[in-house]
Parts: sequence; C-alpha cells; structure tokens
Amino acid sequence: MTVIRFEGDELEAHPDDNVAVALYRAGVRTLSRSIKYHRPRGIFCLAGHCGACLMRIDGQPNVKACRTPCRDGLVVERQNAFPSADLDALAAADFFFPRGMDHHTLMTGNRALNVVMQKVVRQIGGLGRLPDQPVATLPAPRRRHVEVVVVGAGPAGLAAATALGRAGRQVLLVDEQDRPGGSYLADPRFGLAAADRAVQCARAAGAEILRDAAVLAWYPEDAPATGAPPGLLAVHVHGQGLLRLTAERYLYATGAYDQNALFADNDRPGVLAARAVGRLLVQHGIVAGRRPVVLGAGPYARALAEALQGAGAEVIRVDGVATRILAARGRSWVNGIEVLDPGGAKPRRISCDMVVVAALPAPASELPRQHGAGVTLRPEAGGFACIVGGTGEAARGVWACGDVTGFVGPAAAAWQGTAVGEAVARTFVDQP
Amino acid sequence: MSDKAAAMSGKTAVMSGKTIICRCEDVTLDDVHCSFELGYATVEEVKRYTGLGTGPCQGKECMVLAARLIVSVAHLGGAPATVAPFTARPPLESAPLAIFVAAAGDDEDPAR
Repeated sequence: MTVIRFEGDELEAHPDDNVAVALYRAGVRTLSRSIKYHRPRGIFCLAGHCGACLMRIDGQPNVKACRTPCRDGLVVERQNAFPSADLDALAAADFFFPRGMDHHTLMTGNRALNVVMQKVVRQIGGLGRLPDQPVATLPAPRRRHVEVVVVGAGPAGLAAATALGRAGRQVLLVDEQDRPGGSYLADPRFGLAAADRAVQCARAAGAEILRDAAVLAWYPEDAPATGAPPGLLAVHVHGQGLLRLTAERYLYATGAYDQNALFADNDRPGVLAARAVGRLLVQHGIVAGRRPVVLGAGPYARALAEALQGAGAEVIRVDGVATRILAARGRSWVNGIEVLDPGGAKPRRISCDMVVVAALPAPASELPRQHGAGVTLRPEAGGFACIVGGTGEAARGVWACGDVTGFVGPAAAAWQGTAVGEAVARTFVDQP
Repeated sequence: MSDKAAAMSGKTAVMSGKTIICRCEDVTLDDVHCSFELGYATVEEVKRYTGLGTGPCQGKECMVLAARLIVSVAHLGGAPATVAPFTARPPLESAPLAIFVAAAGDDEDPAR
C-alpha cells in the first residue's frame, strides 16, 4: 500500500492507482471546482483529456490527477474553492447567474467600477494559485532522432510499431499514459491481456516504448540538431525535461477523445465517459455504480452495459434518441436523470448513481493537422477525421491510422495499424 | 419567425440547469446559441466569442460538439464538410513552463 496525503488526511492507495482513481476509491467525489461558476468537478474521461481533474499536487497547481501516479507522501489538494471544494461559497456565482455570465456585457460604464469588478472577478475566477516554491533545478532538454516515430500506443500504434519493427526499422513509440495499451485498457471486450499481448509483440519486434510522454506540438519552423529538414516534435516526458524529437517518417495513431452529451447539468460529478468507466473496471477492478444509466448507442454502450451487468450492477439503458435525456439530478453527485419518452408529455425520473455517456469518441487530429494533414468533419466518424490516402499517408512524410482517421474501434484500428506500418516500412525500400 | 429562429427557440424549452458544452471554461449551450444569434457561426468565431476551447483541454471535449451544433442549428443541416476546426495551437497539452525555460538557452541551433 502507498500512502498519500489528501488535504491533511492520510489516504491509502493501491500502488497501481493514479491519484484520481485513488481518490475515487476512497470516496472523494469532488476533485475540483470549475473556473467561473464553481460547479463541482469529478472524474470524466480518466485519460488526461478533459481537464476535469486538475488538482494541486506537491505544491504545483493544475496537475492532472488522472495522470499522476501515487507515491508515498504525495500531497494532494483541491483548488479554486473557498472554504473547501465540498462546500464552496463561491458557487454562489452559479446561483446568481442562472442564465450564465456573458463577459462581453459585464463591463460597466464606470471606469473605476470596472477596475473593482476586474479584481473581484479575478478572485472568483481563475485556475489555481502559483506554486509554493520556485523551480530549484531546470530539467535538462534533450534531442533525439529516430527512423520512425509513432505517436500513440493504442491498438493502432502498437500494431504499426510491430509491423515497422518486424520490417527492420528503428521505431520509437511515444505514449502519454503511464501504461501502454490505449483503448484496449478501457474496453472489457479486450482488456489487460490484449493490451499486454500487443505491447509484448511491439517490444519483441524491437520497438521502443516511451511512456508518460505527451507530444505538445509539431513545430514546423524549429530546426533539428543536424542538417535534417526543419520541424520537430516537442515532447514532455513526465518528470523530465523537453525532448525535441525528429524522425525520417512520422506516424500518428493518436486515437480519439471521449465526448459528453448535451443535457442540463451534464457536468455533474457522476457523469462519466464510457471508456472511463471501462478503465475503472478493466484496469482497476472497480465497478463504478450499483445502478448506472448507460446513455447513448455509441460503440462502447453495449459492451460496457454487459460488463457492468456481469459485475453485478443494475444497468439501465437509455438510447438518448427515442428516449431523450433532459437533465441530470443531484448536487455533488448524480442521483437520477430526467428523460422524455417518445410521445411522452411529461418527463420521467430514473434514479441512478452514475451516468455512463457512451458517445462516439472524437478523432484526436490536432497533431497531424499541425503537421500538414487535412481533416474533414464527419459526424458519423466522431468529428474532424484525418484525411488519408490508401496507405494511410496524410501529408508528405506523415501517416495516420486508427481512430484519428475516423472512429473505427480497437479491432479495426489494430488491423489498420499493421497495414499502415507495413506501408511506411516499404517507403524506405522504395525510396532509399 | 424564421426557420433559424424557430430552431433556436426550442433550445431551452425543457432545460432547467446549465448545459455545459466546455467544461474547462464553463461555456454553456446558451452561450453558443447567443453567439449564433449574433451571427458568429463558424467554429473559430464561436471560440473567440464564448471562450470555448481556450481552457486546459484546448477543445478536446467541446470543439466537435460546437461543430455539430453549427451543422444542425446554425446551418440548419448544411454540409458538414464545410465546417472547419479552429487552429490547433501549441502546446496541445498543459506542461510546466520550466521545461521551456530550460530549453530556451539551448536554441542556438547549428542549422540556423
């Protein structure tokens, strides 16, 4: 057992849990308060994408709890709340502005009053306070050049790296999570065994996996160390400095982001993305919710509903189309939803202790876009999907595969990864 | 009432609390509709008017929701392919400033 410190209390955590999961396991439901209305925020995506679990960790503000591993003595605090995140007096902002605050119309005619108003707004709004201590030693930057860099160690990236490794290419697989496997780890149809198998295959083929490494951007104008063409990936390796990464070929298997549905109070803690609930179940053995509502007909709806049911939960399915969801109920955690049945005149209440949003994930196409790839809005594929040719080429020297090219799910993503990895390997032979 | 106004008027008929479209910046569905009413109906304009997508997640959760609303409400079912995303600015992930500070002195690249 690992012991972390949460707002003065000692809290036992599983060594494999990140801070967000450890707090969830310990019954802490409100992780932070929102920037403007001070609405309670809890876990939503558990993948480091949604920004709902920012906490003050070891004196550093705005650290993602779901990306921070637990270790003995780690100091975890909630931010943006007075006097506490559980009972935040500043949430009055939410009550006093039921129709919202439009900052375009908040200006008053009086210049002095504007200055005062700005001070007040700055106290109420904002995200965290500065760190307790200045940085003692700056983390040393590094540079690295490889033959092929693959971004994203999910089903597509792992398969592509395996194919490239088998073809004898030097591959560096960069992944932002602490454990490689991507959506395998969130999908009860695949799970830990499938993830570990894919990771072993990639390693056996000679691919190197760099975990806890978030690619911050493609900087087209920055020069690499040697005479290679301009442009480099800026990578933040957790706990280390900036890595300037260059390659002969770039392959993006960045996957897709979990999306929320639109209904009143859809940001209430207890409204979780399907893959977050999948992660809790598959990766951490936690059955989140005794009476969960699985909302939507997205690709993870059925698998999650069946897995939760199999784990003993009483699952209610609401498709969100014929039966529409109007609102979530509950203050610090959901305790029900209001729905409108087809042809129904009056809303009906369903009690539940969790809302599992099974929406179609949206392609994570920002990075290939920065690198010259085109995207097109394809609502049926989840969002702005990367446009690729037959072999996955998205721009000159740039390839993409898996959900980033339009949501396909883990099985098809792995298949695409193999095909695109092989195609990229062939380009070294075709154009030496 | 125009078709567009009719489509918009139904927006809060059965809603009670706030519907949050951008969790990071507390941007509501009403804020986005307000931006449409003022004629800001591209993803980039909605971002600039409401602040949606300018928080820690940089639009990972809200940009596609906004794009879908633009297609269904502002364009009344127009072609999705005409809707463009907002610029993907670096950094895509939050990171400590110290790593950039540390790398700043290291910028005298031999290639420059």
